[in-house]
Amino acid sequence: MGKRPPITNRVRDYRERTGAMSQAALGEAIGVTRQTVIAIEQGRYSPSLESAFRIARLFGVGVEDVFGWEGE
Amino acid sequence: MSFREKSAWAMAVLLGAAGLYYLYIVRAASAATGETAPPQIAILFVLLVVIGAVVVQTVLAVSSPKAAGAPADERERIAGDRAGHWSGLLLATGVVCALGHYMAYGDGNALFHLVAGSLILAQIVEYGLEIFLLRRSF
Repeated sequence: MGKRPPITNRVRDYRERTGAMSQAALGEAIGVTRQTVIAIEQGRYSPSLESAFRIARLFGVGVEDVFGWEGE
Repeated sequence: MSFREKSAWAMAVLLGAAGLYYLYIVRAASAATGETAPPQIAILFVLLVVIGAVVVQTVLAVSSPKAAGAPADERERIAGDRAGHWSGLLLATGVVCALGHYMAYGDGNALFHLVAGSLILAQIVEYGLEIFLLRRSF
């Protein structure tokens, strides 16, 4: 495995809070595949700024509420 | 497994098998005549790959029509770009080696087969790297 990106996220928390939205539904809503949503949730991939904003807006929160820097 | 990964696996297997067949027919024809087989021998290989690719992609598209019609997402594009970068370098290396062989031996048929072989190998490596990158962190 490659080096994990230093960006943490709470995508799974927000997804489960939002009426248990599926990974596929989230992927479809922001324009990525279910596998990419899985990679984001597992911290294996840091989404683009655009996708990060799309995710945050979908949950009705700010980007910094969903994404953070490792150790902070 | 995503559609892209399935497609990459299928094409890597197809090209791997077709590449081995190509290597076999070139070696067999070269051994039979005592000189490097002519480029025309590659026609069968090209037909095999084209027909095989059409069949493979059709089967994949029929099994997942929605995913087949969707464009690559941002992570798949990055994986594809990186895989393409390294396979391009491999192809360039193969072509330079083939040109060096031509300069040394003046065998145009060998030049053709070495370039074709580099192309096949580079494509297989591209599919392999794409699969690897789609499974790792980046």
